[in-house]
Amino acid sequence: MSLPPPDDFGEERAPQPLPTGLTGVAVALGSVALLVAMATDALAVLGRHFGFPLLGALELVQASVSVAGACAIVCASAAGAHAVIHAVLDRVSPASRAVLAPAGQLLGAAFFLVLAVGCGWIAWDLRAAAEATDLLGIPLAPLRLFATFALIFTATLFVRTAARRA
Amino acid sequence: SEAPAPDAPTVLRYATPYTAGHPLSRADQQWIAHVERISGGRLRIQPSWAGGLISSEHNLVELRHGVVDVATISPIYTRGGTHAIRLQAGFYGGEQSIDDQVAVYRCLQASFPRLGQELAGLVPMEVQGGNVLGIVTRTRPVRRLEDLRGLRLRVPGELVPLLRRLGADPLDMPMADVYPAMAKGVIDGVVAPADTLKALHFAEVARFYNQLRIARGAYPARAISEDSLRRLPPDLERLLLDSRIVWERAVASEFKQAEQVGIDYARGLGMTFVQPDPVAQQRLDALYLAEAAQAAANADHGLPGQAMLRVAQDTLRRLRSGSRPPCAGPAL
Amino acid sequence: MTPELIGALSIAVLLALLALGVPIAAVLGLVGFTGLALLTSIEAATIKAGVVGWETISRYELGVLPLFLLMAHLCFTAGASRDFFDAAAKLLGHRRGGLATASIAGCAGFGAISGSSLATAATVGLVALPEMRKRGYAPSLSTGSIAAGGTLGSLIPPSGALIVYGMIAEQPISKLFAAALVPVATQALLYIAVIILLCRRNPALGPVSERVPWRERFASLGRIADIAVLIVLVIGGLTVGWFTPTEAASIGSVLAMLLCARRGKLTIPALRRALAETLRTAGVIYAIIIGAIVFSVFLGATGLASHLTALVIDANLDAKAAAAVIVVVLLLLGSVLDGMALMLLTVPIFLPMMVGLGMSPIWFGIFVVRTIELGLVHPPLGMNVYIIQGIAKDVPLGTIFRGVLPFLAADMLHIALLILVPATALWLPGVLA
Ligand code: NA
Ligand code: NA
Repeated sequence: MSLPPPDDFGEERAPQPLPTGLTGVAVALGSVALLVAMATDALAVLGRHFGFPLLGALELVQASVSVAGACAIVCASAAGAHAVIHAVLDRVSPASRAVLAPAGQLLGAAFFLVLAVGCGWIAWDLRAAAEATDLLGIPLAPLRLFATFALIFTATLFVRTAARRA
Repeated sequence: SEAPAPDAPTVLRYATPYTAGHPLSRADQQWIAHVERISGGRLRIQPSWAGGLISSEHNLVELRHGVVDVATISPIYTRGGTHAIRLQAGFYGGEQSIDDQVAVYRCLQASFPRLGQELAGLVPMEVQGGNVLGIVTRTRPVRRLEDLRGLRLRVPGELVPLLRRLGADPLDMPMADVYPAMAKGVIDGVVAPADTLKALHFAEVARFYNQLRIARGAYPARAISEDSLRRLPPDLERLLLDSRIVWERAVASEFKQAEQVGIDYARGLGMTFVQPDPVAQQRLDALYLAEAAQAAANADHGLPGQAMLRVAQDTLRRLRSGSRPPCAGPAL
Repeated sequence: MTPELIGALSIAVLLALLALGVPIAAVLGLVGFTGLALLTSIEAATIKAGVVGWETISRYELGVLPLFLLMAHLCFTAGASRDFFDAAAKLLGHRRGGLATASIAGCAGFGAISGSSLATAATVGLVALPEMRKRGYAPSLSTGSIAAGGTLGSLIPPSGALIVYGMIAEQPISKLFAAALVPVATQALLYIAVIILLCRRNPALGPVSERVPWRERFASLGRIADIAVLIVLVIGGLTVGWFTPTEAASIGSVLAMLLCARRGKLTIPALRRALAETLRTAGVIYAIIIGAIVFSVFLGATGLASHLTALVIDANLDAKAAAAVIVVVLLLLGSVLDGMALMLLTVPIFLPMMVGLGMSPIWFGIFVVRTIELGLVHPPLGMNVYIIQGIAKDVPLGTIFRGVLPFLAADMLHIALLILVPATALWLPGVLA
């Protein structure tokens, strides 16, 4: 057996179109946040070795990855990428599948809704706490709110898929 | 769940992020045994060690919402809503012992209701100090303040300005990264108490423990939620409140033991304990107080920083002169 | 209902919902949430879920995971992973299972960069799976070898799990790292043996290519010289102490970006695509981690783990029998708990018992980390497997678990060896001391 010609590489991963709308915003924001985290950490390492210590880099990385993480959950959900066991789903009758598939998506929505409520509740509790990082004073309230909205939006994505599969 | 039988014990759930064998958890076990014995079996404490039931960062919120009844809390590491508790932790210059630290906190608590308000919904069960901070260094001893110049040190956030003023290169990194970072020379050392020499294995990767004392503040480290406390019959409520001193003494004594264990362990590994030049210690203490004065003057969130610093330092002076103020409560 | 009963029931519900095709993250999270609400209150359970969700995405230690993924996606963009496997195919392709073996080596190499199994499985999986597929490797073999190979990451220093064990058990971490080397090498060799045996029995699993002349082999090696520089810089920088394991993710990403630039592949669309795919993969992994932690917190609250461990202590066994029973308990618990929670819950209980039976705490550390890591690949809750499923969307979970089975057999053999010949772990630290 011989190898496929080199030109075949990369074709199997058919490029998916980049998402648009709110999901597109999440991709853009998440991408920027990832790059900021990467650059900050790398500059902090350089700074340490070349005499311009960047104190508080850790806090900026932490803030950026929290934005990236919230966006990541939106992206994964919009792409329907979450891991699922198909064994039973693939073997049941179409009628049962018409019930099971949307039910599963609704449970997915419930999960992210619980996370959103919890996250938002904590943000509400701490609304007057002036939560900020030690060294740079990055306020945490907007980050918590951002995560909360991302989780709510994720839940609506699941509801939409459920409606489509019903 | 069913209503408990009339003579069934009242169960309170306690959670801590520390494992069962940790010195702090050993102190918790002493407190649990005490409470259960003294209540004649009417009160039972169900502990959860290291099970993730309580977060090491969001414990105040979790306790307020009833995730458990009693918990280890860390208002000092919370990044919002505990500004007074955090500010006062820098006012302990001149403290000589864990007893000093706890006494100062009690007096501050008596004078400044703000400290209690920051724990609204919770009742503190144990005020905790800690072993004095020293400086762990990999390759060179620190005898004079000049020796700190250029040293890349991992320090707690509140000490960053002080260490900067001393010409060190303070940096922040997760505690879990400190061991490998020191092993490889990413950092030159860490500001930490002697118990970490064994508990966090710093003695394996560093040669010097420099006993330049950096003062340590106290703060409430165990609390019960007000709802859980009010649900108890009055006599059990009283019993719990009276048990606070038992918990505080247990923690102080476990800390002292852990410090000795850390020192012995480090000596066994050939670590050098460096006594600082007395002048260096005096200069450090003066700088610490100058930092405290600046922090007090710049206190935001409407905090009476200077008044708090005054009470803290007054308390320490009176303790030194042998006239323990009534607000300091019983000695540990 | 007693907490223990709630715990046992919840596991049944968990399995049923998983089978019915509910997203795995949601099953774990919702069952954990409901159980916690029964044990405490809906309010408390909601807050706890919110805390877990927020801490998972905002903690620095976990936050580096997307950066490792970015490094992998950038390597992909640069064509580096293709060239790497091209070279591997030219060097090893004529041997049975050569590419699967190369993936195991890749896992070992990446394990030396990252302290975690999950990061290793996800990153190497992203790079290696498409390449193996293009060369006709059976999905079961390719996904199975990476799910298993990922667990190498947890024993190869720097190992996050061993550092945590060292802290709990108050053992020198340097000694633990030294003790891990021989076991992890034997583990890797066993995996390679499994691959060779599987491919000998069924050659269709890993197609063999023709032997290529050495000139071509050298040429393919020349094409990966820049990748080799990247790997040497990252691993070397870690070893020498230029940066910490967590910082390695960012440094690796920057270097991978330079690699793209050098190869003329650093275009805006390519970069956007790499970032979007990084986010998608990271989202899948975050969701599973959040669900698993919520479930773990709940199970911890039921006291189920302490009941099981109490049973072992009451049985009064000798050291080797006790170790065997601990394996069973850890595998049972490991099928539903995440690794870190399992370690924090059980080590403080089992360690004094095993030390009492005359076993070294260093040996126990290697043993316990090794056994707990098995939980990452065995059903029903095998995080590495789920993550690989998240990457290789079209490979059914059942196929991956089937692919993992032969490696699990090797794992059991490896653990038996560790129990019967403790010297595999203790010899090297003894020599170095
Ligand atoms: Na590793
Ligand atoms: Na498992």
